Amino acid sequence: MMETRDRMMAVYEGRRGLGVVFQPRIKHWYEVNMAAGTLPNKYRGMYLDEVYQDLGVTPREVWGPGGASSEFAGYLPLQTKEGGDIEVWVKQTHGLFYEAEPKDYLITEYRTPAGSIRQIQRRTEYGTSLYNAEYYLKELKDIEVYKHILHERRYVWNRLRYEWGAKRYGNQIPLRIQLPRSPLLWLMVGAMGCQRTVIMLWRHQREMERLLDLLEEQFYKMLETCKGKSIVELSFGDNMHQDMCSPPLFKKYVLPFYQRIMSKVHEMGMYATSHWDGFVKQLLPLVRETGLDGLECVTPLPQGDVTLKEMKEEMTGMFLRDGIPAVFFCPWTHLKTLEDHVKKLLHTFYPRLILGVSDLVPANAAIERVGFVNKIVEEFNASL
Amino acid sequence: MMKNNEALFEAIREALVTFDVDALKKIVLQAIQRGVKAERIVDVMSEGMGIVGQKYESGEYFVSELIIAGETMKDALEVLEPYLEEATDGKLGTAVVATVAGDLHNIGKNIFVTLMTTAGFKVIDLGVDVSADRIVEAVKEHHPEVMGLSALLTTNLEQFPIIVEKLKTEGVRDAVKVIIGGATVTEEYARQAGVDGYAKTAIAGVNICKDWINEDQT
Repeated sequence: MMETRDRMMAVYEGRRGLGVVFQPRIKHWYEVNMAAGTLPNKYRGMYLDEVYQDLGVTPREVWGPGGASSEFAGYLPLQTKEGGDIEVWVKQTHGLFYEAEPKDYLITEYRTPAGSIRQIQRRTEYGTSLYNAEYYLKELKDIEVYKHILHERRYVWNRLRYEWGAKRYGNQIPLRIQLPRSPLLWLMVGAMGCQRTVIMLWRHQREMERLLDLLEEQFYKMLETCKGKSIVELSFGDNMHQDMCSPPLFKKYVLPFYQRIMSKVHEMGMYATSHWDGFVKQLLPLVRETGLDGLECVTPLPQGDVTLKEMKEEMTGMFLRDGIPAVFFCPWTHLKTLEDHVKKLLHTFYPRLILGVSDLVPANAAIERVGFVNKIVEEFNASL
Repeated sequence: MMKNNEALFEAIREALVTFDVDALKKIVLQAIQRGVKAERIVDVMSEGMGIVGQKYESGEYFVSELIIAGETMKDALEVLEPYLEEATDGKLGTAVVATVAGDLHNIGKNIFVTLMTTAGFKVIDLGVDVSADRIVEAVKEHHPEVMGLSALLTTNLEQFPIIVEKLKTEGVRDAVKVIIGGATVTEEYARQAGVDGYAKTAIAGVNICKDWINEDQT
């Protein structure tokens, strides 16, 4: 496993000759099939890490946010501490909220001296992920409440969690910390919703820009908390998609944020990536200006909207994590299509490639295809 | 008078395309004061939305501009509302749109809805995570010419053939053209799903729907 670590460090550092690491995210596949009772017999009763080992591939996210969709929810060293005058109330319903269509809802309410805000999330079919049915920020007055929360919020380091994670994985794969989405995407995907964010930026630009500044400050607090730890990579969970974040919005709000923060990240001796899992053809020409070291999950055609050639050209000097469209793991895609794509991807991006699935292995994937890809990778590595 | 009105109409289109909502509201009221029928003003604003759509298609505008254009038009419609005598949507036909059961993704669907509305369709947006039963029910209730279905998760793609089959069982398959979309939908999959069309992008989807309507009319 030290070999995996060395290979990944070579990708970060831009060295060649050590081979490619294959890191598909299988947690979603594992959890949905476990919940549905369709996990292959050999994997029943196994821990997720054991399934990774059986497939001969390595896990990725060791220190994630700990949420439902986090690849490994157990090791959470960077924790959020809310201010002393803030109460967080959480409840779960079973069809109580929307009586017409009973589902499980997770309702989180912040009660502060500045007022209250509420978010409602819904679990997916097997409860493995959450989607917003209602966002925290619905109108201007909610922004004031959120600003109060952000002002008071601190980030603390959970040493015990960190040490346990480092003991379990630190020698095998470089330490990576999952951060929230960059400020604009934080609002678009997480706190306000895409359409409302666009409208609020148009109608209330000054108030929104103050909020974006405050969100940016959160990252400096997080960086401060990460100082002195043996972290190699920071991962911004942006979920970038040009239909949400258009090139003009990207230039105005996202690019300057990255330019400011990446100089600090590099000063601290770390690398950083951002998760771009939507259509990104119009944004890719801007990516090098961000200062990011790599991109995660850029999805080529036919699932995404870019060719490998376009990705390679626009990401010169950067590394790619992932690159195989998830749909190629579904049984209706010809195996030859998958094989040809993987071979082309390896030749196009090596040595600046950590191979994986864009975005993750689907729940209805033919899981043996992971082994099939692994074999192609082994052959490629043997040929180096 | 016609020439003067044309200058006004051009100002309406221009205000809409540049999202100048204050100017738009003023010009709209000016037009009313000059005796232009509210329905005619809505038509002109729709033309402005058409220009916004073209700019989106050519890559000059993005979804955020579509959203803002929609807001601009909404504000102007509020001013016009007291003067409107008839419903103004749905000249091209009716479309039922939904994200299929089990899937909660709505960005692509919402863009499609916006573009279909500005193209002149009356859109019945059923929302996300919509069951096959509810979709077929909506077809029977609204008699749409077009049905747009979206799914992002590969596990939900199987809903497309289920819906098609249900349309057949209920005897309404031939009454409606079905188009599907979503990032994980490939041409290869669409061929197997028994639908009438597949589009990689929302704008391509709208163009296919418009072609279907035009074919029917010729």
